[in-house]
Amino acid sequence: MLEKTLVDSIKQNHSLTQAQQLALGKFIDKGFPTSKWEEWKYASLKHLNEFNWLWSPETLSVNFPKPDWKHSAIIQTLNGNTHSEGALPQGIALLSVSEFMAQNPTFESVWNARNPILDQNSLYDLNEALATDYAVLWVKKGVKIAEPLLHHYFVLGQQDTAVQSKIFIYLEEDSEITWFEQQRSESSHAILSNYVQDIWVSKNAHITLIKDQDLGQNITHVDHTFIFQQESSLVDAFTFSINAGYIRNNLHFYIDGPQVVSNLNGLYIPGEGQLMDTHSVVDHRMPHSESNELYKGVLMGNATGVFNGKIFVRPDAQKTNAFQSCKNVLASDRATMNTKPQLEIWADDVKCSHGTTTGQLSDEALFYMQSRGISKATAQTLLLLAFVQQVIDKLGHDEIRAELSDKIVNKIQASLGLTI
Amino acid sequence: MLSVKNLHARIGEKEILKGINLEVRAGEVHAIMGPNGSGKSTLASVLAGRTDYEVVEGSVDFLGKDLLELAPEERAAEGLFLAFQYPVEIPGVSTTNFMKSAINEIRTYRGQDPMDAVQFLKMFKEKMAYVNIDQSLLSRALNEGFSGGEKKRNEIFQMAVLEPKLAILDETDSGLDIDALRIVAEGVNKLKTPQNATILVTHYQRLLDYIIPDFVHVLYKGKIVKSGNKDLALELEERGYDWIISALD
Ligand SMILES: Nc1ncnc2c1ncn2[C@@H]1O[C@H](COP(=O)(O)OP(=O)(O)OP(=O)(O)O)[C@@H](O)[C@H]1O
Ligand SMILES: [Mg+2]
Repeated sequence: MLEKTLVDSIKQNHSLTQAQQLALGKFIDKGFPTSKWEEWKYASLKHLNEFNWLWSPETLSVNFPKPDWKHSAIIQTLNGNTHSEGALPQGIALLSVSEFMAQNPTFESVWNARNPILDQNSLYDLNEALATDYAVLWVKKGVKIAEPLLHHYFVLGQQDTAVQSKIFIYLEEDSEITWFEQQRSESSHAILSNYVQDIWVSKNAHITLIKDQDLGQNITHVDHTFIFQQESSLVDAFTFSINAGYIRNNLHFYIDGPQVVSNLNGLYIPGEGQLMDTHSVVDHRMPHSESNELYKGVLMGNATGVFNGKIFVRPDAQKTNAFQSCKNVLASDRATMNTKPQLEIWADDVKCSHGTTTGQLSDEALFYMQSRGISKATAQTLLLLAFVQQVIDKLGHDEIRAELSDKIVNKIQASLGLTI
Repeated sequence: MLSVKNLHARIGEKEILKGINLEVRAGEVHAIMGPNGSGKSTLASVLAGRTDYEVVEGSVDFLGKDLLELAPEERAAEGLFLAFQYPVEIPGVSTTNFMKSAINEIRTYRGQDPMDAVQFLKMFKEKMAYVNIDQSLLSRALNEGFSGGEKKRNEIFQMAVLEPKLAILDETDSGLDIDALRIVAEGVNKLKTPQNATILVTHYQRLLDYIIPDFVHVLYKGKIVKSGNKDLALELEERGYDWIISALD
């Protein structure tokens, strides 16, 4: 069924390159992930087979409110089509991948050798098959932009729609940007939002990547963010998963040079009817690098959470420091959390540590607070906000921090109001 | 103000309070003494509204309201305060923020406008002077890593801020050094008015040298087995509980 509608639709609307045909074949062979796939055990997408998807999304326009704080540019990805709203700052260009590769002929072979881990990732194949000449944000050598670049990622549809989006951020040596991505949706129909974001961070470059995922209840969002780091580069990544019926974050870091620092910060706060799954990979391929993972989760209503954190330290990656922490609070009896740290270390001179915990709010603490006149819902909110604060505090940008903090407070308050 | 009648409470299958009767009027100080495990903290928790305990019989009237019908936060808003024997750590929430939430929820309950930041700060400063507590302690996460004495002093500070009508102090004197004991006792005395009342749970006569009780009760195996005036506490200090217990058996 899936196969037929997909192939029919593609024949009508696309002419596929050989690589795309190959990817399409792979996807059709594997299908959507089911709970029988180890990597998708708690986050099956089998139900996606039941929809009669529109595989070529309509181009619709949308009004996106502009922030009242200073930003350097706005880039929109609307149902897979990327463009910039207004001019981009000096030293930054937005162009198609074919143009980009034509202008960087030596890069193509480097790019093709990057070798990400794609086991059990049929949605990546699907994206590869359907995301045509996607956009590249090219940050030129030495360009440093202090104000955030705002990325409006949007999916919408007037019928059940499968959206494939892809974007590539290429940072040349010594460049620096902050990418603030607001993922939003507008649809009363089901949407499969399948998003691939590749980021290449050259020597000495620095990117702060902030994802604010606030999508509708009927959205299935699968996010593949693959970051390739060269010597002495720095990445500060933040993923705030606030709303969506289903979110799967595949966040991969490939450390391909020495003196690299990779910071992964994440907060997921699923409520009633929501599933949020983080699968992180930190692949230390070169020596003298450092990775720090700090994840926190608050699970409310009948929410499901998944955290799988893989750290690979390859034989060449001596003197690696890798830390991982994942702490969760079940704020409801009906919520579940599945955690699995997975460390594979082939080098001997390394420092690695990891810890995952899942607990509940203490009844003692709640009673103590109530005995001072604080209602149970407020007491829970205060404790949960104190719990998530550590991740929010790591955001260096005041306005973004305030905006996200408000959003998180509102979500937690609203969800607790529902479950009392 | 408080009228406890034939109060029975249990946890699981175990009955801990077995018929407590207690009358407290405005302006009075009551001391409750008794051996370890006799049910003093249980009584305090039941009055504050801890749901682990099941009230199986009896009634509690507080200022004309059926106390047992109220949620813990409503009891607090009605003017009841419990200083915990073992104050609980509240990770990540400072005393200042904690008290701001408490004050404003109580004010909302009472139909008053919330306090603004300036008013709040002024009031906070005044109360800090009462119990001689340091600002740095109040900006730390509440009770987290506090010393035993700091926790107790913070309880009295919270009491000063909330100005309860009835305060129950569960062994607030335990673990205090001599100076802290005096400060805490002075704090309690300063907060005393003809309109409010205090119940002191204590093991030691020492505290009662500073805060003179109008009544002293002995709680034993879930019942008040003897009541008297301040002299009873002196007698207990001298003779222990045996003479009372053996007279019962
Ligand atoms: N959660 C509980 N589960 C089982 N038994 C309990 C529980 N809480 C209290 N008890 C029991 O109830 C009895 C009374 O305890 P309570 O703490 O009220 O005593 P207390 O008079 O305050 O003692 P102390 O002077 O040591 O503070 C004790 O035997 C205690 O073990
Ligand atoms: Mg006790």
